[in-house]
Amino acid sequence: MNGPPSSLIVRAIGVSRQFTMPAGPVTAVRDVTLEIGAGEHAAIRGPSGCGKSTLLHMLGCVDSPTAGTLLFDGQDVSSLSDAARSRLRLRQIGFVFQRFFLLPMLTAAENVELPQAEAGAARDDRTRRTRELLEFVGLGARSDHRPSQLSGGEMQRVAIARALANRPRLLLADEPTGELDQSTGEQIAALLDRVNADGTALVIVTHDGVLADRARRVLMMKDGRIERESTR
Amino acid sequence: MKALGFAWRSLVRQPARAALGILGVAAVGALLFDMLLLSEGLVTSMRDLLDRTGYDIRVTATEALPGRGPRVTGASGTADALGALPHVRSAIAIRLADARLEGDGGVPLQVGFQGVAGGPGRPWTVLRGRDVQRPGEVVINEGIAGQRGLGPGDRMIFRPACDAESDAPPAVTLEIAGVAEFPFEAVNEGIAAGMLETIDTACGTGGRDEADLILVASTGDTDAAAAAAAALRPDLHAVTNSEVIERFSESGFTYFRQISAVLSAVTITFALLLITVLLTVSVNQRLGEIAALRALGLSQQRVVANVFCESALIVGAGGLLSLPLGILLAVWLDRILKSMPGLPAEMHFFVFQADALVLQVALLATTAVLAALYPMRIVARLPIAETLRNEVVS
Repeated sequence: MNGPPSSLIVRAIGVSRQFTMPAGPVTAVRDVTLEIGAGEHAAIRGPSGCGKSTLLHMLGCVDSPTAGTLLFDGQDVSSLSDAARSRLRLRQIGFVFQRFFLLPMLTAAENVELPQAEAGAARDDRTRRTRELLEFVGLGARSDHRPSQLSGGEMQRVAIARALANRPRLLLADEPTGELDQSTGEQIAALLDRVNADGTALVIVTHDGVLADRARRVLMMKDGRIERESTR
Repeated sequence: MKALGFAWRSLVRQPARAALGILGVAAVGALLFDMLLLSEGLVTSMRDLLDRTGYDIRVTATEALPGRGPRVTGASGTADALGALPHVRSAIAIRLADARLEGDGGVPLQVGFQGVAGGPGRPWTVLRGRDVQRPGEVVINEGIAGQRGLGPGDRMIFRPACDAESDAPPAVTLEIAGVAEFPFEAVNEGIAAGMLETIDTACGTGGRDEADLILVASTGDTDAAAAAAAALRPDLHAVTNSEVIERFSESGFTYFRQISAVLSAVTITFALLLITVLLTVSVNQRLGEIAALRALGLSQQRVVANVFCESALIVGAGGLLSLPLGILLAVWLDRILKSMPGLPAEMHFFVFQADALVLQVALLATTAVLAALYPMRIVARLPIAETLRNEVVS
């Protein structure tokens, strides 16, 4: 879904993030203003250490800006308690990580069920939704497999299914193809395209130009700032 | 998946670590259980032994242990008078003496002798043969019967050692009426018992009518019976079984209680450190996963609960295992300690008590909570973004 955003999900207004380091404060993100709308597909690119992941973490409400305002659904995230932020992430935001972070002691299905159980979904609903999602990512036949029995691409598919478990409005992916070979990376990129096509807003942080070029908006970052933005 | 189920899966994921934790807790738990049994074991065992005699009050002429102080004079009359008191079911006077059992050319056997007056009960239980019915008859314990091959109907030559100040009396021949069991007999200790006249005759002290103690059985109200006994003979000391136990608890048994307290503290500390280290290492190995779960929306309470449940499972499983282990260890240690000479054969150092079990559960539960505090703190304060960033960088 590459059309203009129909409604705003997250809005960063002049956000900065400064870290206190032994050698002195380091500003990872400087005065960034950004809006992500429903169904949007955006990619954030830039050299290592430019603040891409930090910005993504703030958009995903796992980190807080040290300056500026971050609004999620119009609500100032800084006013939310830790529990409220957890609930927000659980129901509205999905995360896909470079290293998958699947729980090795759980099967693929159990990994996907976990956020649903946390959200209080009924067992039958969880089972149905998990089956749908694993079918969607092409792993319907491998639901009982543990992560150690899956390839890297398959693990990332399960991670995507897990991120979609509670039907989030915003999916954030941090280098989702970073640990995969080119061919597998393309399969994951195609899968993410399908997720976005189904209406989920998608923000990807990536070094991969090919993956970034699939997005409608590409934000180029440098030294903590959005240096330029392109759309197609 | 509930926190407990999640914790179980986390433990099973690293079976060696889980086994190490569970076995460690089982080992220290077993030791802790034994220390708790030991702390009150002797007191419980002594109380049980005293109660098994069927007499709940001891009347003596002195506060010293029976046989180590002046005797009760007018023993038979006093026993009869005590037996006639309200709240008293029966009373018997007992005189104790050492004796030497002469063999047929063999080595003499040192035994204890009890002479009893009053009744109708006796502080022994006849196992074979019959009870004594007249002066000159005795019952012997298995110690004498086994070592000398004697039984009901046999005769034995007896040389009592009565009073230090009197001359050694001549040997007497006594008839064995039966073989009996005595509550306080030690392993391999020889004991013979008969009527008070028998010991008086043997010692040549006929007419003195002295006893080392008078055992009184109350009808139920021990304190009232003891008060009546004290009122009857104000010059004597009437002590209930509970008071005897209390005195022992304040003096003789404190030693075991102190050892038990110190060793219990050491074992608990060891368990605490073991579980804390294991959980901390485990949590530190999974920081990325935990941060990812938090990013996916699992609450702080949920991930903290997972860690707590892991601690509870390790301690719970180890604690369950510690009970049979502790019982086996207690039986073994009890056997070693009971081999000390002079202890009553029925006396035990380790006695099962429900209170000890409850305390064991409470201490282990506290350990589970305390051991989980530090790893729970790590998880609760985990900076999600920073951890995810570090995981990628590393």
